[in-house]
Amino acid sequence: MEKIIQKSAFPQWLKSLQAFKIFLPKRANYGWELNLNHEVQEIPEDYTYPVVPPKKLIFPQEEIFFEFEQNPEDGIKLKEILPEAEQQVIFGVRPCDGLAVKAMDLVFGGTYEDPYYWRRRRQTILVGLACSQPPSENCFCLSVEGSPSSEEGLDILLTDLGDRYFVKALTEQGKSLLSAASSLFNEPDPRDREAREKIHLEAEKKIKRHLSSARELPEKIKAIFDSDFWDEESLNCLRCGICTYLCPTCHCFDINDETKSLAPLKGRRVRTWDTCQFPDFTMHSSGHNPRPDRASRLRQRLSHKFLYFILLFDRFQCVGCGRCVTLCPVGIDIIEVLTRASNHGA
Amino acid sequence: MVSLEQLKEEVKKILSSGNIKYFIGYENFSSGWQVRPAFIRKPEDVDRLVWTPACFHNLVRFLHDEKRRRAREKNPDTRPVGLIVKGCDSRAINVLIQEKYIERKDVYLIGVSCELMGVIDELKLKRHLPGLKPRKILFSPKETIKVITDDDKEIEIEASEILADRCLECPANFPVVADIILGEKIKKKVTSPYQSISPYEKMSVEERWSFWQEQFSRCLRCYACRSVCPMCYCDECVADSIVYAVTADTTAEEKAQKIKWVERNPEPSENTFYHLVRAIHLAGRCVDCGECERVCPVEIPLRLLNKKLEKEARELFGYEVGFDASQPPLIACFRDNDPQDFIR
Repeated sequence: MEKIIQKSAFPQWLKSLQAFKIFLPKRANYGWELNLNHEVQEIPEDYTYPVVPPKKLIFPQEEIFFEFEQNPEDGIKLKEILPEAEQQVIFGVRPCDGLAVKAMDLVFGGTYEDPYYWRRRRQTILVGLACSQPPSENCFCLSVEGSPSSEEGLDILLTDLGDRYFVKALTEQGKSLLSAASSLFNEPDPRDREAREKIHLEAEKKIKRHLSSARELPEKIKAIFDSDFWDEESLNCLRCGICTYLCPTCHCFDINDETKSLAPLKGRRVRTWDTCQFPDFTMHSSGHNPRPDRASRLRQRLSHKFLYFILLFDRFQCVGCGRCVTLCPVGIDIIEVLTRASNHGA
Repeated sequence: MVSLEQLKEEVKKILSSGNIKYFIGYENFSSGWQVRPAFIRKPEDVDRLVWTPACFHNLVRFLHDEKRRRAREKNPDTRPVGLIVKGCDSRAINVLIQEKYIERKDVYLIGVSCELMGVIDELKLKRHLPGLKPRKILFSPKETIKVITDDDKEIEIEASEILADRCLECPANFPVVADIILGEKIKKKVTSPYQSISPYEKMSVEERWSFWQEQFSRCLRCYACRSVCPMCYCDECVADSIVYAVTADTTAEEKAQKIKWVERNPEPSENTFYHLVRAIHLAGRCVDCGECERVCPVEIPLRLLNKKLEKEARELFGYEVGFDASQPPLIACFRDNDPQDFIR
């Protein structure tokens, strides 16, 4: 379903969605964030993308699984906690971040569905915004089967045509958001379609960074698994969690029992984000650590995205958003490292 | 001004002599004006080196990795590691020597004088050049910083406009320990060394509490502040949920008894605890290199905490961090005239 909405009517559209929690891009001191904010009724012109990707609204950094409590009569009692099922609409999701949600769906879906993830996911509607400009100078979505106007993972894709948005509803959920205020939407005319097409094409040309032959990477990475290549490439690495915590597709987690009292036993079981870049991620109870150094951790991060995920799901686990490149405090650049991996020994 | 040619020459000389294991300097980042730490092993690679106002990284931190590497290897190469140190970085070397983490002979230091400049603050630069993309950033002889933009415009910016706060407040612009020093020793006048913390000192306890609660609520616990810090070298940190010091001999009971001071969840209480533990552990140790604040992806102003504790150490104990490697560390010494009115 394709429609046009004037930007001046955008606040009214938001008003028609009062039954939902609405997230909109908001400028913070550190960059953009997705904010539960009903005062700002528009997507700002200079919006790029949020520093912390939208994954945190579906896969929050902290998830309480259950509470436990011991009492003399019944022994230990468990109380399951499932996330509150509130419907949420996220505006301003960039196509790369939409693609990333799709990749997350594969991880948390399949034979064993993660109930915590899906409770939130099924209540979430993603309203994408096609990139007219690359949000970052390190964007490289075209190299990993994405694009500034890709639709996968999104429910609606908006394209900014200046004074109006071209609205393409991609799913039933997306269509339902339009029917909530159908009078605000008009049929697009051929000129609108032409303008949209042009913006999408121009946007692709503005992307500066590229990774060549990404589909050949699995073999290349496999071939240098034991190489000292990784030692050299990881010399700078600080072993912090920036590249993974701010990655829209990284999804690894840890589960801890947080004990509030030992006698009587009382506490809760909590899932939190975790990352392969922390040394304790693979630490065994014996004290042995199968990934003992930065080299093996960098290799893991890249192999997961460009080797294992492809073997499992036939797609990249990297959407080319460039956050890990831009935000790495010591300039580790995934595009460069992979390019060198490709050429290594050649 | 520090001459890049001279720097390259010195690095080439020391690498050719075979007296150092490798040299850590700065090189251009793949895109844009940023630089990143560079590990140079061969004399012919010195042309990768750069020296710009974006060389903010404190390279001393990489000595932790070297120390761990040595501990792992059977026959480690124990030649010194060469590195570039600015004034603040050189003070970090002194603290590590004081604490017996490294020995002076473990490092070969090329000191660089910041003269009347320093390094830039990325956020200030962005605010100063709205809509423009810098391609290159250079020191200019006239106490200005020259920015060359993507569209080849040359812009001269008054250094004080975009220098990092820590540089504006730093009177110690000259390395305190080094094997060679490049650049001139110029006396620098700093009228208000604690300017950045003064607005917060004026706040009430409640105001300060709510300010910090808001800041810490953003924390993602990526631990970049800890990872980048030259003083955060503990093998075991209270913030981690497991003990790194576990060996094959550690009993199950010992493992189970590990006290969880701070939980992994990013709730304000845990985030606050983590940051306060870190701040307290840096009292009398922080050299104000500002790296923790620079690397924070959500811009938590961590430097304010450390700066306040630096001021406390100076006012209460007359202690200045990192100027003298032969004096005992602040927290490891006691003098009869230390203030003790707080003991009741």
